[in-house]
Amino acid sequence: MILLLALISGLLVGLGWAGWQHRPYQAPALQSTWLAFVAFFPQIVVAYWPATRHLLPDWLASIALLISLILFAAFAWRNRHLPGMPILLAGLALNFIVIVANGGWMPISPQTASRLTGNDILGLMSLGSRFGQKDILLLSQNTHFEFLADRLLLPAWFPYQVAFSLGDVLVSLGIFWLLAHPSVKARIPPKERVHLDYI
Amino acid sequence: MKNTFTRFSMLASKINRQHIQIVLAILALAMLVLGIGAPADGGAGIR
Repeated sequence: MILLLALISGLLVGLGWAGWQHRPYQAPALQSTWLAFVAFFPQIVVAYWPATRHLLPDWLASIALLISLILFAAFAWRNRHLPGMPILLAGLALNFIVIVANGGWMPISPQTASRLTGNDILGLMSLGSRFGQKDILLLSQNTHFEFLADRLLLPAWFPYQVAFSLGDVLVSLGIFWLLAHPSVKARIPPKERVHLDYI
Repeated sequence: MKNTFTRFSMLASKINRQHIQIVLAILALAMLVLGIGAPADGGAGIR
């Protein structure tokens, strides 16, 4: 949800800025867009679609997740020239490192998870079991690169609770910048525009 | 009926290639962030 919030915020800022300058909003000129659709498919099966997410054994699902991340990395690398994409790539790299180092899933500690579900529900789960869409419950001391795991939380008083990683923060910043930036270009004065048309 | 069809035709004519490109780009980027991000959502009121 926080990732989509960053995307929508960036889009709104970009649209607002374009409207302020009386120019149409320019979408980022993405290359190999098809790759994003292909890369997302394994994640629909193993993480997002409730009917299929438990069909595959966890080891196979984690491999599918890693393949998906590699395809997304290829897509992001192909578009690395776009503003914001280097930040997004850095976030992807951090998430990839911690996911690979912990068996193909994003680790989350029971302490952090208890803030999301409550202790009673968490008590029914065992260590090493899947939590949420792409997470796995692991003790902090058994987690590799623990500082890159889902360990950041919103303030307790905030009505919506989510645990996220340093990589997620960079991904959010990158996508915000990417969508807010494309319309931020110097406006060509009308006279020069006519001149350029003749050229 | 005819009126509805006319309205629909006018609306469709306003959707140009650039609009479709924007929608495709946003869709691809939404998939990218959902795909590479891994936050654990607790939602609202679950604590």
